[in-house]
Amino acid sequence: MKPVQFSVTSKLVGDAAVIYPKGYLNNLSGEGLVNECGIYIGRGITKIVVNFSETDLINSIGISLLLQIMEDLRNIRGTICCTNMSKFLRDTFEMLGLIQHMIVFSVESDAIKYLKAGTT
Amino acid sequence: MPFNAVPAEYFFNRENELHYLKGLSELKKNALGGDVFLAGARGMGKTELLKQLYRLLYWEDNVIPFYYSFKTANLKGAYFPKDYFSAFVRQYISFAKKEPSLAQNAAEPLERLMPAISSLGLHWLIDCIEDFQAHVNKNDFYWQVVAAISAPVIAAQKSGKPVIVMLDDFDAAASLYESSLGDAHGLISLFRESMQSSLCPHVMTGSAGALETIFTDHSLIGMTEQMRLDPLPEDVAAELFGAHLTHLKITPPPVGEAKFLAVLKGNPLYIRNLAKAASKMRKKELHEKDLIECYSYEVSDGETAFYWSSILSRYMKTPAQQRAMLKLLMHSVESGGVDDIKRLSVLSGAGETETGAILAAMQASGIVRSKDAVLQDFIRCLYMKEIEGRNADFAREKIEAKYLSESEESCFELVIPMSSNAELVVAKAVEQIGKNHNLDAEFLNYLQLALIEVCLNAMEHSGSYEKKVFLKFITRPDKLEIIVENSGKPFSLDTRKEIPVEEKLRMGIKRGWGFKLVYAIMDDVRVERVNDRTRVIMTKNIRDKEVAT
Repeated sequence: MKPVQFSVTSKLVGDAAVIYPKGYLNNLSGEGLVNECGIYIGRGITKIVVNFSETDLINSIGISLLLQIMEDLRNIRGTICCTNMSKFLRDTFEMLGLIQHMIVFSVESDAIKYLKAGTT
Repeated sequence: MPFNAVPAEYFFNRENELHYLKGLSELKKNALGGDVFLAGARGMGKTELLKQLYRLLYWEDNVIPFYYSFKTANLKGAYFPKDYFSAFVRQYISFAKKEPSLAQNAAEPLERLMPAISSLGLHWLIDCIEDFQAHVNKNDFYWQVVAAISAPVIAAQKSGKPVIVMLDDFDAAASLYESSLGDAHGLISLFRESMQSSLCPHVMTGSAGALETIFTDHSLIGMTEQMRLDPLPEDVAAELFGAHLTHLKITPPPVGEAKFLAVLKGNPLYIRNLAKAASKMRKKELHEKDLIECYSYEVSDGETAFYWSSILSRYMKTPAQQRAMLKLLMHSVESGGVDDIKRLSVLSGAGETETGAILAAMQASGIVRSKDAVLQDFIRCLYMKEIEGRNADFAREKIEAKYLSESEESCFELVIPMSSNAELVVAKAVEQIGKNHNLDAEFLNYLQLALIEVCLNAMEHSGSYEKKVFLKFITRPDKLEIIVENSGKPFSLDTRKEIPVEEKLRMGIKRGWGFKLVYAIMDDVRVERVNDRTRVIMTKNIRDKEVAT
């Protein structure tokens, strides 16, 4: 694990927002992630993909903020998918018993397909 | 008494110091030297150096040696001047007649020495004794002290031979009193006249802490140079240990198994005591395990333990004060320092004023400055016995376990501030420590995560004013132990409520995952409260698959 400075980028693919958190996901950076998702939710986007390919590490505060996003989306009947998780990250959610409450795909494109199918 | 010096063959590595002190009277006569304060940790051989010097001068016959120990002296006005004066007279006659027994027989009244003094033609000494007796008869305390302290100077003037005055534990002289403690401050400055004499160099010992206070007396500053007795080098320490063992008919440990001796940090007293402990434990030959066994006995019940106990009780008289001091010492050992008086008062269980007095005594004794592992182990043993109510066997086992496992372990310590992203520094440290031990990268990721969570817990919930987290990493071939410590609010695993994930999500509880991760990752997690600190001890076993190939 080589934690780098956290940053978050995003793009819109159809009616889904894809978020790329990069680095160490903790309280400060988790807030950034929540804000980024909040911007899309504010614009009426209810489908979000979080691509973890560049996330080195997530701590318990980062996890709690991710749960916050899940809850926000659930409240507006939205969907969140997690993709490109490293084995370590996946195991971390597994250890906490959270993985079965998340929609996880190996790659981003599978998540986009899933979300598209859900709207048709 | 000065004659009970160890045989010269057991007095190692102090030739230069002895040579310098031996020539001190010549240096002082030519204004090239003055008085000497011997500094050095306890047990480093300061008293022994004085005794060796005494023996050397005694038989060489060019300089008159006078040795006086304040450690065992009665500092009351009615006793001290008589004791000091008669000790000098006895030692002088003994020196003149070359009869050591004369100096050692303190019970014999001075009057009985008169024939010997007359036969030596020392009429000035008879005058001296009569003058002193006149002050005693007049009950003139001040002049008794002056006459006693001046006796070596008069002897030097009359005999034509310089006198080296050796004052052991001289700092105790600051407590000289007339009839009740503290009623005659500054009597120590009466030594000024004697110290200024070019015929009487003074060599003093005492705890550095107390001496600093004494030398604020300007009459004593500027005339004194400091000579530091450093620990014996490793090879010399091993040689001395070997010499003691040979004398006790015990086979020394093989070279590779004597590394443990480094704990004694070249302290001749500890080295001698450990050798004697081996003899008491009827060892015929020593290996590393035997050394550690003898050592645990020494710091728990042996002469070293007795030595330190007597020092502690010298500074703290009542059992309650001793317990309070022990708690503070243990805190100092565990935390590596002392904190503000309010916190320490809570720790010691004594009031702030009393805690302040205990701390001052600790400073004066020089105990808290010491990074002496032996002293620290003695404190640990005493704490286990006196505060935790454990028996001596338990304490010894703990000490032995510590060193037996240490022999193949490495240890890193780290202190981080409670600030944003400081936990990443810890993560980086774990990564490097793991690499040093060839641990698998994925295995290290989990360790980093667990450690980050414990650090976050400390930072978020302790409310510590100190705002620091102390970490210790101990790696052994089969396991890794990580200790995380912080001051502040207590944290207990018992207060952790295990709520099922489904319920947590349903109730919108988003926090409280940290220790769940720690438990899932580590093999063992314990939380202890040590004084005002919370200590989390995590253990992770290292299996073959976790070692990188």
